[in-house]
Amino acid sequence: MGVSGALARLALRHAHLLVIEVPGYWLTRVAVERLAGVRGWRLAVSPADADILVVCGSPGPELALVVASLWEQLPGPRARIDVTTPDLVAAGLDQAAAMLRDTPGQRRDSTARDGRGFDDAAGGDIALAHGSADRDGLEMDVLHVRLGPVLPEWPAGLVLRAHLHGDLIAEAQAGVIDAGHGPAGGAHVAGGDPSDEVRPAVAGEVAARRCDNAARLLALAGWPDAAGGARAIRDRLLTGERSAATAELARLRRRVRRSWLLRWSLRRVGPLPPDELARLGLAPDLTGDVWDRLNGMLGRAAVAVGGPAGVVDGGPAGVVDGGPAGVAVGGPVDVVVGGPVTSPAAVASVVSGWDVATARLIVASLDITALDVVTDG
Amino acid sequence: MAEVPAAVSGGWAPVAAVLLGALAVAAALLDGALAGRAAGVRSGMGRPVGEVARLLRQRRRTTVAADRLLWRIGGAGLLGMALMIITVVPLGRWTLFDLDVGVVWVNALDVLAWAFVWLTGWGANSAYALVGGYRFLAHGLAYELPLMFALVAPAVAASSLRVGEVAAAQQGLWFVVWMPVAFVVYCLGVVAIAVWGPFSPALGRDVAGGVTAELSGVDRLLFLAGRYALLAAGAAFAVPMFLGGGAGPLLPAWAWVLVKATVLLAGLVWLRRRAPALRPDVFMEVGWLVLLPAVLLQDLLVAVVVIGG
Repeated sequence: MGVSGALARLALRHAHLLVIEVPGYWLTRVAVERLAGVRGWRLAVSPADADILVVCGSPGPELALVVASLWEQLPGPRARIDVTTPDLVAAGLDQAAAMLRDTPGQRRDSTARDGRGFDDAAGGDIALAHGSADRDGLEMDVLHVRLGPVLPEWPAGLVLRAHLHGDLIAEAQAGVIDAGHGPAGGAHVAGGDPSDEVRPAVAGEVAARRCDNAARLLALAGWPDAAGGARAIRDRLLTGERSAATAELARLRRRVRRSWLLRWSLRRVGPLPPDELARLGLAPDLTGDVWDRLNGMLGRAAVAVGGPAGVVDGGPAGVVDGGPAGVAVGGPVDVVVGGPVTSPAAVASVVSGWDVATARLIVASLDITALDVVTDG
Repeated sequence: MAEVPAAVSGGWAPVAAVLLGALAVAAALLDGALAGRAAGVRSGMGRPVGEVARLLRQRRRTTVAADRLLWRIGGAGLLGMALMIITVVPLGRWTLFDLDVGVVWVNALDVLAWAFVWLTGWGANSAYALVGGYRFLAHGLAYELPLMFALVAPAVAASSLRVGEVAAAQQGLWFVVWMPVAFVVYCLGVVAIAVWGPFSPALGRDVAGGVTAELSGVDRLLFLAGRYALLAAGAAFAVPMFLGGGAGPLLPAWAWVLVKATVLLAGLVWLRRRAPALRPDVFMEVGWLVLLPAVLLQDLLVAVVVIGG
């Protein structure tokens, strides 16, 4: 017991969690991320990387199937918890830790799974990819890949069925999982039901949501430190440390704006002119490219907590160049409070023709609060 | 010209492996500490230890119709590659393998990263892992030629492909001083081979961990250890190539090699936290339009100096 017990204790201090957010339960997901971070736990990127599966909210029938199949993919030792409100998170994580510590129990689980490998599950018969001409007219294999509903830094509930040429999205259809299954559907606005929106906490919550979305975009851009910074600001906003959060937000905005590498990497990606946005029913403050939208997101967070919208460091560098950005920064707050509902069809339309990496950046840059449950045909 | 290192018996190979392991562990500890500090967690420094414990306790897994042989070869390959690189790196007066084409040996090995990372992505039979593999190849197309030409510069200056002689040719003036472009490009290449920091889109969060998406347990441990080991081996090889080998006051030559390698390694680890990822498609432009011409000019300059001198 000595070695394996010590190993279990050490391993437990560094557990990885795969967090699944049911649409509408973002505050629970945020609480999981925050409390897991306090324990020194980290977020997993895939089921293979995870020890703990956390389901935030009550999944509808379709999502429940996805969760069950992901659970089978956790290598083990593994633990699954379901939490539905932020205040149940701490107890849930304790419970997960206890399950992981229970070596005999894990061993039983492992034995029970032996002989039920993946090879048996699929019957070993997989169709080969078929070919089709890519954008340069070359014959390419076409792969049908379902992006979502569970992916790191992905909007809750979104499912994008993509036809991939290599890693290029030739065509995509989007929908929301469990569309039409009550509150777990999609059009659930961050602030709870509309009558709640006058709560004083709402401004902080709106700003926190923007920071959360910005953190996702920064994480996708491969800058974990800045993403961690944005998450810390989000947590401060939600726990009511408004002034510290405002100061940190200003620092983060400067840091982001001054990173020429980030700017160079996000410039010209996914440009959306105003008429295109109007056609797709997206908010007008998303004008510009991903870089503009990242700065716009952080700007809207600052506005929501009463900070300055535009110039933060005084110099000309503070002004985002390239015209349309000026529109993005300092958009009207009241539009954001209600949480615009994004149509999945619009998401599918803006990612077509881009490679997966860029498409992920574009989706994250749309600053999605809630998804429309009307499925794209 | 200073003393050229002598080959020692192959029995010393485990010692070299232990030294490489120590460097890799140091890199992992530093990385953990930096990550912990950024996240405001106490347990930063212990993170690598905890991760090892976690992965040792975790079960291995496989996927539907995985190409298991190639998958496992790819996963373990990076570590083997790092071990083979350090066989030609002299530690002061000693070297394991005094190859007369040592520089070419390292160059040939670094190309293996293409195969190993790609196979790890390919073998799992998973779309995300495959996309990760593609991304590494795209980065490879951009960094590999500049890296090769960066290694040409010290070899031309020393008029030798023997690593020990390249180190010995730098008495008085380290190559990093008059061939900074080659040095920077070489460091970029090392970071890229280790799929590290700015070159980590192949392991990106956006594709669920990319190449590593389906790895668990000891397989993931081997792959991650291979990355740290490659970073360490790359830093160690920079010492004889650019940083004057064992030259330095007071300390013996072998200690200087270790000190220089550690400092460079710490720099590379730190770099990860400072910069966002380089998207493979845009880095392609940089590789071919900026790095390659710059490093070719550097080679020309070095050649002119060598002929003129």
